[in-house]
Amino acid sequence: MLNVVFYFQVHQPYRLRHLNVMDIGSDESYFDERLNREVMRKVADKCYLPTNKLMLKLIKKYEGKFKIAYSISGITIDQFKQYYPEVLDSFKELADTGCVEFLGETYYHSLSFLYNKDEFLAQVEKHTNLMVQEFGQKPTTFRNTELIYQDRVSDLVYETGQFDTIITEGVKRVLKWRTPLYAYKNYARTMNLLLKSYQLSDDIAFRFSDKNWSQYPLTTEKFIKWIDQLTWKNDNNKNQFLNLFMDYETFGEHQWAETGIFDFLEKLPEEVLKYPHLGFANPKDAAKIANYQQEPLAFPQAVSWADEERDLSAWLENDMQHNAIETLYELYDRVLAKGDPQLIEIARKLTTSDHFYYMCTKYFNDGDVHKYFSPYDSPDQAYIYFINALADLEERL
Amino acid sequence: MRILMLTWEFPPMIAGGLAMASYGLVKSLLKAGVEVDLFLPTKEFVYFPLRKEEDADTLPFILLDENFQPRKEEVITREFKTIEEKMEYLGVTHVPETYYTPALVKEFSKMISTFRTEEFEHRSEKSIFDNIIINLQGDEDIFKKVQEMAFRAEKLSELIDFDLIHANDWLCYPAGMVVKKMTGKPMIAHIHATEFDRAGGPGDDRIHKIEYSGMLYADQVIAVSRYTAQMIISRYQIDTGKVNIVHNAFSFEKDNTFEKGRMFKGTTVLFLGRITVQKGPDYFLSVAEKVLKKYPQVRFIMAGTGDMARKILRSSASMKLKNRFLFTGFLNRKQVERVLKVSDIYMLPSVSEPFGIAPLEAMAYGITSIISKQSGVSEVVDHAYKIDFWNVDEMAETLIYLIEHPDECKRVGELGAREVKAIQWDKSAEKVKDIYQEMLESNRGEIDA
Repeated sequence: MLNVVFYFQVHQPYRLRHLNVMDIGSDESYFDERLNREVMRKVADKCYLPTNKLMLKLIKKYEGKFKIAYSISGITIDQFKQYYPEVLDSFKELADTGCVEFLGETYYHSLSFLYNKDEFLAQVEKHTNLMVQEFGQKPTTFRNTELIYQDRVSDLVYETGQFDTIITEGVKRVLKWRTPLYAYKNYARTMNLLLKSYQLSDDIAFRFSDKNWSQYPLTTEKFIKWIDQLTWKNDNNKNQFLNLFMDYETFGEHQWAETGIFDFLEKLPEEVLKYPHLGFANPKDAAKIANYQQEPLAFPQAVSWADEERDLSAWLENDMQHNAIETLYELYDRVLAKGDPQLIEIARKLTTSDHFYYMCTKYFNDGDVHKYFSPYDSPDQAYIYFINALADLEERL
Repeated sequence: MRILMLTWEFPPMIAGGLAMASYGLVKSLLKAGVEVDLFLPTKEFVYFPLRKEEDADTLPFILLDENFQPRKEEVITREFKTIEEKMEYLGVTHVPETYYTPALVKEFSKMISTFRTEEFEHRSEKSIFDNIIINLQGDEDIFKKVQEMAFRAEKLSELIDFDLIHANDWLCYPAGMVVKKMTGKPMIAHIHATEFDRAGGPGDDRIHKIEYSGMLYADQVIAVSRYTAQMIISRYQIDTGKVNIVHNAFSFEKDNTFEKGRMFKGTTVLFLGRITVQKGPDYFLSVAEKVLKKYPQVRFIMAGTGDMARKILRSSASMKLKNRFLFTGFLNRKQVERVLKVSDIYMLPSVSEPFGIAPLEAMAYGITSIISKQSGVSEVVDHAYKIDFWNVDEMAETLIYLIEHPDECKRVGELGAREVKAIQWDKSAEKVKDIYQEMLESNRGEIDA
């Protein structure tokens, strides 16, 4: 049996406004309210609302056989409430079906596991409380920011006592000859690991509408044929997991409705369920479904789902990124010590990984992706605004 | 007395010190009774007939049509709320990007070629103009803009009456030379900076040749400092007899109280100027790195833009200067005043600074200044620390001394403020007016003879 595990990342940062040195001390918000509202409204209209509607329809139609999972960062839910409450309602409706799993993560979509363990745990707990409050679910599967994972992460997550499964990228340099289709254990055998099949995931997320791609156009039938082919080699009747992980914005935002992405999605469950040895599963059920001894995998170095490198270099490579994040976490302890909840909230919003992503100076294809997602003209500008925010924040202490 | 003043920058269109120097001089000349027809690289073909002191701020203008005749009705019917709005209408920004049309550039070549066939008074005049023709070539926009300026200035000179041509920096020399050639009126070449200063090295050979030709063809040369006069004489071999030194000054707005404020709790150190090799931003950065090791609470602000901005920014990150080294980007006048309000110490580490007006303004705010010995401004102020630009150790030590002795820092700042407020444009404008008068007298003498 091969289980398709759909997981979608739903995330929008609080983007910084063009904060000039001359604004320091002016008491104005660091964040670009107008832009953040505009992006949220636009993405919700193009993606969140129509895709949620379709997902709900499919879940009802297949009566429990079609399952999906989301991780929604805390600041995204905050922005739903601020800018578009209907979106949150539609996610709640999905939660009520019982076929939708919500994963745990850091509330602020941060890289805190690298710099401040206590802050990491606090952000995870804050996110858990939000999931319970909004969706009535206490997450048992964990997804670190942008699928970033290394052994240390599993230790920290294990410490919470709340999670038994972590999902991450099926990176070749770790898997080597292994397939990402099995459920694994972390290096200490304390956690289950589910690994993204990036080939098939990215066929949908990145290549779906690429006319230069040899497989264009991607039809549901073709895609299901590829999935079926994966099972031919599985002769021991082991239960496998095809982990299709992607940005939720793939539907309608990165791939516009005109590309046929919604039709593709709508037909997908029907085609999958035509095969008796194919089905859908949630990440939380994987360990129960796995009918074999799960092999432990060590991740001594960090992996992620970003860029060709699939490591931390999208956020932490150049001097600007390092200086910015180190200065932030240094300042963070002083912000906490001061104890002003308003300042703590601002500092936490600055921990969001996107701020460092915008400072990335990698070129070629990945540079394009960074540019697509960045609200600024250049990585240098992103850096300047961030450093100015930190300078202002320090003066407020 | 009426002057045709050719300059590349004028407020509110400000790229560097030239704008403030042009403004200060023109305003004080007007006050001293000299009438000025101001000509700028605007997108629309206009000139500014300035007759009284206030005109330097309101900039009344006359639009010319495609036949180079005044279009008076435009002036009467249009009203502008702000001077910025007016300048926008005329097609100027702080960087005159929009200037020049391909059609008019062609006209320039045609015009210059008429000179070539014409009788030149003497061989040297021909070779000077040949120099301009040969060197004012290039695909860069700036060369085309300079050509257009020259072409338009010549057209304008047929329309208006004036006694003397005053051309500021190389960008305006070809225009001044063409007008002198066509009208026979005496010309001043005013040197605010040479290519040696700007490039911090040999620079563009074409520009050197244009500078050389302009100074050679001019009847009198004005240098903004002894430092610059020496450079003109030693590097360009200009006749010492026609080189005059008139120091720049700073015009303070009467209602400016030079009030101070704070942005940062820590000592705030300012760099204000273009972020180019000439201004020594890399020395400022090195000083910052040294000082921050000892006093991490100090804030360094780098205000301005320029081609070295990215390099300095990236270096500041690699030095891990945290949030203590900040970049403002381009600042308008109001923002410049604000950044001066909140700064404690000003640094001008210029590699080569013909004058440097910015320190005068900084000092007026009581900001203690550390200025490069390689600057003209160091000739006119006493109450500032003067250090060789390359001596970052001494600059860092001085800064640390000032941080450790805030009372002394304040005392020097106050003395400096008093000192610079006495450096007025009126005095410099008087000197310039004297030069005008002498030129007109000797010119008259020549004509009479």
